[in-house]
Parts: sequence; structure tokens; C-alpha cells
Amino acid sequence: MIRKACFCLCFIMQNASSPDAYVQAKVAAVGAQLMKRGWLEFPDAEKDAFLSEVKQAVLGNHGVDAQFMGVNFLESLVSEFSPSTSSAMGLPREFHEQCRITLERDYLKKFYCWAQDATLSVTNKVVECDSTAIEVKVCAAALRLMFQIMNWEFQCNKSALDLAKKGLNMFSSGVRNDTVMLKKSECVLVQPGPAWHDVLISSGHIGWLLGLYGTLRQKFSYDSHWLDSPIAVSARQLIVQLCSLTGTVFPSDNGQTQQHHLVQMLSGIIQWIDPPDAISSAIECGKSESELLDGCRALLSIATLTTPMIFHQLLKSISTFGTLSLLSALMCEAVKACLANNNEEETWSWYARDILLDTWTAILEPKDSGKSVVLPPDGKSAAANVFELIVQSELNVAAASAFDDGDDYDNIQTSISVMDERLSSYALIARAAIDVTIPLLDRLFSERFSSLHQGRGKSDPTRTLEELYSLLLIIGHVLADEGEGETPLVPEALQCNFVDIVEAEKHPVVILYGSIIKFAEQSLDQEMRAAFFSPRLMEAIIWFLARWSATYLMPLESGKQFSSNKHDLQHEPQLTRIALLSFCGDQNQGKLVLDIIVRISIITLVSYPGENDLQALTCCQLLPVLVRRNICVHLVTLESWHNLASAFANDRNLFSLNAIHQRSLAEALIRSAIGMSNPEASNQYVRDLMGQMTAYLVDISSKNDLKVVAQQPDAILSVTFLLERLRGAARASEPRTQKAIFQMGVAIMNPVLTLLETYKHESAVVYLLLKFVVDWVDGQIVFLEAKDTAVVISFCMRLLQLYSSHNIGKISLSLSSSLLSEASTDKYKDLRALLQLLTNLCSKDLVDFSRDSDEVESTDIAQVVYLGLHIVTPLISLDMLKYPKLCHDYFALLSHMLEVYPEKVPQLNSEAFAHIIGTLDFGIHHQDTEVVDMCLRALKALASYHYKERGTGKEGLGSYASGLMDPNGKLQEGILSRFLRSLLQLLLFEDYSTELVSSAADALLPLILCEQGLYQRLAHELIEKQMDPSLKSRLAIALRCLTSSNQLSSSLDRLNYQKFRKNLLNFLIEVRGFLRTM
Amino acid sequence: MSDEDHDFESKADAGASKTYPQQAGTIRKNGYIVIKGRPCKVVEVSTSKTGKHGHAKCHFVGIDIFNAKKLEDIVPSSHNCDVPHVSRTDYQLIDISEDGFVSLLTESGNTKDDLRLPTDETLLASIKEGFAEGKDLVVTVMSAMGEEQICALKDIGPK
Repeated sequence: MIRKACFCLCFIMQNASSPDAYVQAKVAAVGAQLMKRGWLEFPDAEKDAFLSEVKQAVLGNHGVDAQFMGVNFLESLVSEFSPSTSSAMGLPREFHEQCRITLERDYLKKFYCWAQDATLSVTNKVVECDSTAIEVKVCAAALRLMFQIMNWEFQCNKSALDLAKKGLNMFSSGVRNDTVMLKKSECVLVQPGPAWHDVLISSGHIGWLLGLYGTLRQKFSYDSHWLDSPIAVSARQLIVQLCSLTGTVFPSDNGQTQQHHLVQMLSGIIQWIDPPDAISSAIECGKSESELLDGCRALLSIATLTTPMIFHQLLKSISTFGTLSLLSALMCEAVKACLANNNEEETWSWYARDILLDTWTAILEPKDSGKSVVLPPDGKSAAANVFELIVQSELNVAAASAFDDGDDYDNIQTSISVMDERLSSYALIARAAIDVTIPLLDRLFSERFSSLHQGRGKSDPTRTLEELYSLLLIIGHVLADEGEGETPLVPEALQCNFVDIVEAEKHPVVILYGSIIKFAEQSLDQEMRAAFFSPRLMEAIIWFLARWSATYLMPLESGKQFSSNKHDLQHEPQLTRIALLSFCGDQNQGKLVLDIIVRISIITLVSYPGENDLQALTCCQLLPVLVRRNICVHLVTLESWHNLASAFANDRNLFSLNAIHQRSLAEALIRSAIGMSNPEASNQYVRDLMGQMTAYLVDISSKNDLKVVAQQPDAILSVTFLLERLRGAARASEPRTQKAIFQMGVAIMNPVLTLLETYKHESAVVYLLLKFVVDWVDGQIVFLEAKDTAVVISFCMRLLQLYSSHNIGKISLSLSSSLLSEASTDKYKDLRALLQLLTNLCSKDLVDFSRDSDEVESTDIAQVVYLGLHIVTPLISLDMLKYPKLCHDYFALLSHMLEVYPEKVPQLNSEAFAHIIGTLDFGIHHQDTEVVDMCLRALKALASYHYKERGTGKEGLGSYASGLMDPNGKLQEGILSRFLRSLLQLLLFEDYSTELVSSAADALLPLILCEQGLYQRLAHELIEKQMDPSLKSRLAIALRCLTSSNQLSSSLDRLNYQKFRKNLLNFLIEVRGFLRTM
Repeated sequence: MSDEDHDFESKADAGASKTYPQQAGTIRKNGYIVIKGRPCKVVEVSTSKTGKHGHAKCHFVGIDIFNAKKLEDIVPSSHNCDVPHVSRTDYQLIDISEDGFVSLLTESGNTKDDLRLPTDETLLASIKEGFAEGKDLVVTVMSAMGEEQICALKDIGPK
């Protein structure tokens, strides 16, 4: 093989001067592949001999053309050995991994040196002659090779522990782990390890490289295209890559060497990016932007490796200003340029802005546990400058786009998710210079606010509205963090600044949000609302209020801080903190602001008909924040909250809300009942709120002409809305309101059944009815006492039966395929709801909070759920099981039942039993391993139950296990024998995932123990079928080992299961290979 | 049978209107709506605004429940849309006549003989097959805005 590789090499060397570059490259790639294929087999001497040939070529001993080819060959070789660019070659991952390790260990550094030597050998020529000479090509190729080597995923220096942790992933990790933390601009850490110190650091390599680039740059300064020539691009790539150099390649001297290295890099790069204004205008005049962009990338690389302080100091050692100032100036130029040509995307300024924004993020992102980053004073002012310009540019963009029409702009959710990354970067910058930026934001906001008033009636406010929209998004991000499910705290930077301000009213943060709330409050005035508060602006306001409330409104610690830290009060920073935290606390302005927010919420629901996006924000984002426990205490005392509740119960306006929002609204209103002083009041509140609605449902369902009335669209609308509301209420079940919500459900049990009958063809209503029951049962079942449980269960069974009677054997007919698929989706959703209902019932046996004494006859949950399954199963067709969620729910429930209640199985009637067995049979052959696993667990439970029962002389599964007479008088095989057969068949002859072997072993062991006779017979058959005598004896031995090795006994304890798992695995490894080839 | 006859009948029928107004913003996917005079099932709703700071409007995509044609409409979301009164009635299938009509048994014991079989081959086949096998079939007839069509079949006979 090495000869073939030699041939390839010779070929390209001999044809080195031919112009056919494509062929050359392909041949080099083939050569590299051949080399790799034999890599682990070639003796080292041969490899070395071959590579020394390459080395001669690379060093230029065979002429320049051959030198170029040699470098190219090495490039192919490195790329072939690098896991992310290698070709598969049909070889295992481990092979690739070993090639990679040996190349990295033995050759990579040599290659790098050769490439460097190759560059050195042609440098003089390159500097002397023009840019078309062949030497320039060699130089560019060598630099590219060096860049490629620096791009290698160095592993050798990672500790063994690190690799062990990754375990199996070691062979599959094509991507580096550390890239995850990086943003979209690419920047990877280069960690070649201590062996590279001499080449990269101590040899003056960096100085030479920067010098080379600097000289060439100088020489070709007349040629505007040179910056994009291959040699310039490769050199810059290598330089940028070397900025990311880190790790043990530097000696452990507190980062001294690394800092020195970075200063050196920066001194070379600074010409590319400084002075920013001159470079920016040169680019606008046609200069290539690539050098500037590479400079920005280098800054990003450096920023990821250093702390803000060190980052700032780096440039100070060689210049009059710090790195942050340069970064700020660059960013300002980029933003200005963005503004100047704001209509064109994808210009250099966009890229530069994004890279620089990432650089800011890399600097400012808190590294450990939320401690915010502190910048040096001039760094702070640099950040402030940048932020001011950013906000200005965002405002300009907003104003310019205010009149954009058409459907292509986004609603608030999408615009936030699209801009979120950018806005959080802005927020980081703002928080770095908080004492400037907060007053700035306040000033900008107030200016817009007053210009609205001044222009009232005279000019079109749209521009200002859009600017306010954009400001609200920015301020929201600066003031508060996204909670992501947890309660967000006031950002550290805001808490720690403004130490000299003790009065909360004068705290800039308070002033800022105060003016926003004041602005928002004006929307309560009808005239103002009509004039200024467009739905879009209201969306931003509600979004802001939700985000703000989560952090600032009655924060949990505000009250505690006051009392427990009194002795600390002399301490000023603490004082400021408390002032900020407690200003909207429950002792202070909190209640006032809460009242304003509630009134604004009502306005959005009542006065903006049909604005679904706005109402979604109010119902799904703002209100849930308000019904936190500590706020509810105050919420329920507010008149405005009661107004909302009564509007909800009585106002037709609220009836025109979208159904989903009705549900969330009901949920929020009911949840607030936890704030009431005693349980009686809470329950009474729920009754008052929901009473009318249940009464309506009772009333409509008892009408004589229900059939006619019910199908009218307005009746359907009312019924769906009421059900959504009831469902919302049911979801808000808390122990405190449980009683009232139970009564609410009981009151409409019969109406629900009547409506299910009436609306059997109206799938949307049917689904809602089912979901209501599911949620209601879910919230109630664990609290119910025996009597109530029986009521609920019999209701659920009637519901199941009714649903089944309507749907069994029903076929939908429609011309439209999409309507037909909708119909089957509806069915799927219904069935899932029914399975959820059964699963919820199941939970009664596991969790039970009722205070029943044991004497009371309680309902047998298991029997009920088996019955339920019996009703539901026939409705589930094979097509339905193609919905993964349904399939999963179904098998999970079934295997849970069989595992927990195997003793109920013998009492099932034969039809129900047949359903279950059929399902299991289907399940073990399913493609989804999880489903198969669940079925195997169920089988294990059945068989081990039977075995243990028989051991104590009881019936076990009785006739189901021993076999049944079918109606024709033929004896049917017992199920255990049947499954023993099919499981063996599966294990020996079919395809399955190896993960399943252990659960299959757990099922197989009790099956074998139950059906010894059959097992012996099957084993015998298996051996007899084998023609080849040697295989025959191998199989016989393996079968014997399966049941006898490891001292396997005939008990079913954990130890024995473990032994059998091992036995089965060994057995399968031994025999599957030859059995399957038959 | 003609459409006019039906209109007349349904008007006489308890004064029930053919359509009802409903606010566009409350109409959801899977609901019904009248688009260009045809009763449709809504398969897609999206909202947008008239200009950035204008009011919301809804964009509906519906499928005609009778002829399966796709129709679209844009309505300001605070305005009302017409929602068709779609009702479904179950009848037992008594006979399929040669000339393409079915004979159905109503709840009151009368027969309804004015419903034409669907013209689509596959629908027709599934009805005819079931009937030919001698199953007891219940058909669900969907009617809206003066049109009627069989929309579902159900076998209620003993196994």
C-alpha cells in the first residue's frame, strides 16, 4: 500500500509543473487516503522513509513546483487524519481515532516545522518579486498548512480522566465540547500542549510571522486587491488562530508568557484596525474589509481568553489607550456604518458589528455565579459610548421602519426571540456602565413621552410609537433578566451601583421604571388610548410589565431584608440595595403599582377586541406572574382584581376572548384564591366565580330542544368557552380550593355526559369535554375520600363507555384528504386524553391524601383501570399507534398495570385478556425500543407472578397460563408458552437493539422457569436443526451454559436475574452469529 | 330535488338561521366559517396587523366541507364573520337505489329518500361495500346552508 502512496506522490511530483491543479489535488487526496489506510500496519521505518521524501520536497530540494506539491500533499494528509474532515473509508471509528492520536504525537509538529521552513526558504523571493510568482503560491500554501495544523483538535494534553469521563463519546465526538459556549462568530481554543512551546513561543515564531505579514502588507500597499490574495488571507487566518493559543503550551507563570504573547499579537494586529474611523472610511471608498474583520475576530479570540482588566491593559502597554477604548471606537464605526446603509444587509459593517458585539459579550458575560464584571473607569466610559450609539441606531432603525407595511414584520414574541441574543448583549454593555446608561435611557424615554404629548393632534405619532416600542424592549432587557422558570433576581450590577443614593425615589433605576409605569398608566385614559396606545405598543408595555413584575414587584426578599438586616443599615451599599428592592415591596409602593397593572390588564382584555397577540401576552405572561403566592395576598384585596373577576363572570366583552385565553384567565383568577385569609373564603370565592357558568351548562343540557339548539354556532361557542374556563379552573386546583372545584365538577357531571352525547359529531367540543375531565380528575383524585372517589370513577367509566359507543366502528368520509387527516388527528387527541384519564385514576393508588379510615369499602382502582383499558383498546387502531406519543402512553399504562397489578389478570374475562395479550405481542415486535422494553417488563411481571404463586401452591394465572379451550373445542396454548416461543424467536433470529438484552433476560428467566418442559423441547429442536456437527455441539454447550453457568438457581431474586442477564448476553454472543446465517 | 327546496324547508324549520355572526378573533382552527358564500372548516388561522401600529386582522384558510375546495379570507379580527350552522343527523341506512339515491330511516320512523349518493368513487365504494355485506349501517348526514352530504358511516350491527 505504501508503494501505491509512493506512486501517487511520484506522480504529483513529476507532474508538478502541469497546470492541471484539480487532478493534482485529487491524486494528493488519494495518496493521503492510501497512507492512512495502511497507517497502523506500516513499519515505522517505511513511514519515515516515505515522509522524509516528502520533507525533501517541502523544503524545496526538488525545485519550487515540487515544493508546492509537497506542501499540498501534507495538507491532504492532515485533513485526512483530522476526524471532522476525514473520509469514512468503511473503517471503524476507533481506527480513525488511533490514526489521529499517532499523527498528533509523532508527526504534527514536524509538519509544522517543515511548513515554516518552506516559508522561510521562499521568503526572500516573495518579498522581492511580484505577487504572481510560484514562490508566492508556495508561501501561501505553507501558511495555509500551518493554519490547518493550528486548527487541529489537539487531544494529547487533555487528561486521561477527561477522556474517560466522555467514555464512549470519545469515538463519536466530531465536535469539540468547548465550542458550545461560543457564540455564532467562530472562535475555538487552540491548546496544543507543552510540546509545542519551543516551536510556537520560544523560537520567535510569532514575531517572524507578524513581521512577514507586515513587510508584505507594506510592499503591496499600492495594490488594493492584495489584502484578499491567498497569501494574505492564509497569513491572517494563521495569525487570528494563534490569538486563541492557550493551555499548557504556555509555562505556568501566572499567565505572564501568555499575556506577553497576546500583547505581541495585538501589536501586529493593531495596524489592521486602528485608527477605526480612517479604516472605516477607506473601506467605504473601496478598500477591502477582510483585514478589519480579521482584526475583529482576533479581538474576539483574545477577549475569550482574558479577563476584562487584562484585556484592557494589553493595549495600554504599547499604546496610549486601552483595548476597551479601541473596541468601543471600532464598534462605534461599525454601528455608524450600519446606520449609513441601513437598507442593505450583509455589508461589512453588519459582520463587524456582530463580531464586536460577541466580543463585548465575551468580555462582560459573568463567568462565575452571577458576579457581574467590573470594568476600569475608561473601559466603563467606552462601554457607555458604545451603548449610547447602539440605542441611537436602534431608535433610528425603528423610526425608519415605522411605516413599513405588509405582513412581513413580526409580532412581539418573534421579534424578541429573534433579537434576544442581541438585546441581551446590549443589556450586558449597559450594565457595565450603569450610572451613565440608566439616566440615558430615562432621558430618551421621557423625550419620546413628552414629544407624544406635544405633537398630540398635530402630527402622526407612529414614528415615536415605534421608537417607544424599541426602547421598551431594550429597557426591559437592561433592567431585568429572563427568569426561565425560576424567580429572577435584580441584576447584580443594578444592585451594587449608585451607593450614594439612599432614598428609593431618587434611585435612577426606580426613576426609570417609574416613568415607564406612569406612561403605561396613561393607557387607562380612553382618549389617550385612542390617540397613542396602539395594540403593538400595548404589547411592548405588557411584555415589559410582565418581565419587570417578575423581578421587582414584591420580591420575596424585600420584607425579610428589612427586618433581618437592620443592624446592617449603616452600611451604605446595603442600604441602596434595600431601597431598590423594597421600593415595590409589599410594605411600600408595591400595592399601588399592582393595582395599576391589574387595571391595565383589564383594559387590554376589554378595550382591544380581537387583538389576540396582546391578550395572549396579558393572559399567558403577565397574569401568571401576578398570581405568585406572596402577591396574591394583596391581589385579592384589590378592588380592581375583583372587577376583573366580576367582568370575567358577567361581561360579554370578555366572552369574546380567544378560548385559550379564557382558560388562562380562569386559571389565574382561581389561583389567586390562595391569597385569601381562610379556606372558607377561598372556596366561596371559587363558587361565586364559577357558579354562573356551571349553572349555564346545567341549564342548557336540560333543555328539551337541546338537539336543535346545541348545534347552532352561538351555542357551540358558549359551550366551548365555558368548558375552557372550567378547564382553566380545574387546572388551578390547590388543596385550599379543592372542595369548591370538586363541587363544580360534580355539578356538571351529568351535563358533561349529555353534552358528549349531543356533540358526538363536533370533535372540538368532544375533545374539550374530555380534557376538562382529565384536568379535573388530575387535580382532585388524590384528595378524594372513598365515597367521592366512587362517584368520580363511575362517572369516568360512563364517559368512557359513551365515547366508545359513539366512535367504535365509525368511519369518516370526506372528499378532502386534509379534512380526513384532521379527523384522525382529532381521534388521536381524544384517545390520548382518555389514556391520560386512566393514568390519572391510577395515581390514586400511589398517592392518596384523603383521610379515610380503613374500614370504608374503597374502590378497586386496578379493576377500574383494567376495565377502562378494555373499553379504550378497541378504539386504538394500528394506524393510531403510529402516533409516537399515543403509542408510548398506551404501552406505559399497560405495562404499569401489569407490573403493579398482575394479580388482577386472572380475574379478567377472556376478551379483555385477549386484548392485552394481543397488544403485548404487537409491542414486543415494535420498532421503538422503549415500547419493547415496556412490554418485556410487563411479561416479566406476568411470568414471575405466575411462578411465585405456583411455588406457594396457588393458581397463578390459572387457565390463562395452562391453556384454554377455544369455542371450537381446540386447546389453545397458554400464554406463557406462547411468549416463551416468540421471545426466543426474537432473541435468536430477529433484529433488535442490544440495549434490550437485559430486559429480555429478565422476562426470559421466569418464562423458562414456568415452562421448563417446553423450553427443553425447543432447545432440543434447535440443536437438532443444526446440520454442522461442530456448530451443533457449540450450540448444545451454549444452551447448557445459559441455564447452568454462574450457579444460576431457580429462584427469582435480584442476584439470579443479574446472573441470567450475563448468561444470556454470553449466549447470544456465542450463537447468534451462526444461527442467523441459516 | 333542488337547492331551493331545501332553503325553503330549513327556513320553515323553527326559524333557524343558516349562519351566525361571530367575532373573527375567536374563530379557531377546526371551527367553521363562511368564505365566499361557502361553509368551510378552518384549517389554518394566522394573525397580522394592518401597518405596524394598526389593528389585528385574521387570515383564514378553510376547506369547503362539501366539495373540499380550499378557500382563503382576511378579516379584521374585531369584525364579525359568518359562521355556518352545521348540523349532523344520524339515520339508519335502509336501501341504496339504482338511480343514485339512498333511503334513510329517520328517528320518527319515516323515511328520507331525497339524499343523493356521493359522486366520488372511493366514498361511494365504502358505502356500497358496507351495505352489500349486509351490515347494519348508520350514516351521519351533515347539512349546512342548504346542502347535505353523508359524512360518516358506522356499523352498529352485532358482530
